[in-house]
Amino acid sequence: MNFLSACEVFLSQGFVYSLIALGYYISFHILDFPDLTVEGTFLSGAVAYGLICVNGINPFLGILLAFVVGAIFGALTGFLNVKLKIRPLLCGILVSTMLISINLVATSVGLIGDLTASGETSIPYGRDVITLHSSKVFSFIPARLREFGNIGLRDLVIFFVFALLCKILLDLYLKTKNGLLLRATGNNSQFVKMLSCDPGKSKIIGLAIGNGLAAISGALYTEINGNVNQGMGIGMIVIGLASLIIGISLFKKVKFMKDTTKVILGAIVYQACLTLAQKLGVPSAYNKLIMAVLFTIALLLSGRFKIKGGSKNAGA
Amino acid sequence: MLELRNVYTSFNKGTVDEMNLFKDFNLKINKGEFVSIIGSNGSGKTTLLNLICGTYNLDSGAVFFDGKDITKVKEYKRAKHIGRVFQDPKKGTCSNLTILENFALADNKQKRYSLTNAISKKRIDYYRQIISECNMGLEDRMNVKVGTLSGGQRQALALVIAAMTDIDLLILDEHTAALDPNSSETIMLLTDKVVKEKDLTAIMVTHNIRHASTFGNRLLMMNSGEIIMDKSGKEKENTSINDILTVFNEISIEVGN
Repeated sequence: MNFLSACEVFLSQGFVYSLIALGYYISFHILDFPDLTVEGTFLSGAVAYGLICVNGINPFLGILLAFVVGAIFGALTGFLNVKLKIRPLLCGILVSTMLISINLVATSVGLIGDLTASGETSIPYGRDVITLHSSKVFSFIPARLREFGNIGLRDLVIFFVFALLCKILLDLYLKTKNGLLLRATGNNSQFVKMLSCDPGKSKIIGLAIGNGLAAISGALYTEINGNVNQGMGIGMIVIGLASLIIGISLFKKVKFMKDTTKVILGAIVYQACLTLAQKLGVPSAYNKLIMAVLFTIALLLSGRFKIKGGSKNAGA
Repeated sequence: MLELRNVYTSFNKGTVDEMNLFKDFNLKINKGEFVSIIGSNGSGKTTLLNLICGTYNLDSGAVFFDGKDITKVKEYKRAKHIGRVFQDPKKGTCSNLTILENFALADNKQKRYSLTNAISKKRIDYYRQIISECNMGLEDRMNVKVGTLSGGQRQALALVIAAMTDIDLLILDEHTAALDPNSSETIMLLTDKVVKEKDLTAIMVTHNIRHASTFGNRLLMMNSGEIIMDKSGKEKENTSINDILTVFNEISIEVGN
């Protein structure tokens, strides 16, 4: 039954991280904006959700709040770039740096009302805390399947539902006038100007959506973790971008599949590779090394990103 | 309808390479005029278009559009009443969107880009009808990505969608220069047709002196930021290509081209 529990691990992590990848689909794939804010907003989402849950408020509201918080800071990154003309990479670094403090203070204030943030830094989910897992909505799904390797079915379903929901909403958005304008902005901002629209505005909206999704991902991730800790955001840029690029390049030839589906599959494939490496006995200290190597392979597989993203990033 | 008053512009201001292009430049363009602008490289033709569209800011002076001072108005806001086709066919359309999606975006110009469905099924036949007038067979390829079209096809599409909404001024920035001679002719004829049908005011910069002489009802020749020839109406019709070439060669020798 070892196999089933391995599947559980990569599927649930795949669904959770696919939301960051969907966010990067907007900010990096469509808008060509290398957004480093995600490490900060991933954690912000987790903190917002965690605080809502431990204070006994509806966890669905927590997810919504996570999105809003993520979107606000994503928009701030966009604002720094568009209005203050700061380079994309620097905007991400600035906002994610300020978020380190903001997340810490928000955690402390939310838990014990301490503005100096000298005490509490993590939000533990005790037995009495109502999260998505323990909410009434999902209670009809068995928490664990004892006959099948004791896998956590309920969490898996929750993560799947949210990944699917975000994918569908994103697909619908991209078909609207506003969504189409966003796609045009990434492709040809001069064209958008001639439509008498401000391409900067589209960019800010795109970054808000991207970071809102990353924040939801962070919120869901706390369900796997069982708590919120301040180190959660580290490494999320690589996970998100690698998932995106693996998905888009691996399924490049598959015409009938939507890009958003490819991105979710990419996130799952990426997590499957990492789980496989672990099962083969690679010590967990090598995790980030494997992540970076897989990312490099993905980049090499997709010529488009090698040239486009590469030269742009080198310039920024 | 369009007026530039006492315009000064310079490049690389404050450096040793400082170059003052326009010095007290004045130009007035009336409604319904189709102005062709010729001139050697560096004479300020494209800069003039960029000043009108708001891509560049001027050092001093003012730009008036329909009697309103638009000197400080941003490029994207000016675009509400201006359509522009660029030399680079890639600039006037979106390569990773389909022909239909390009149409849908352009069709919505001057309106809000809201959260409603971008493509209206009712409008598809209308798009097909106006693109079929280009005689390029594009009406049967509405769901093809624009990036796969040839330069001439892309430029035709760019022209059609630029003039699609209710604009007052059409800017043509060497829009046939990157095309082969055949496509160049096709696009020029299409341009003339669009301008006449929609009764547009148009400004066309071109290096093709025959186009400048054949099309439009006013001809400007520029040199070093000054207008050295300005003929309109009958006077333009009576000016032969050879007359234009004589003047053009003189200035070319002067600037060493």
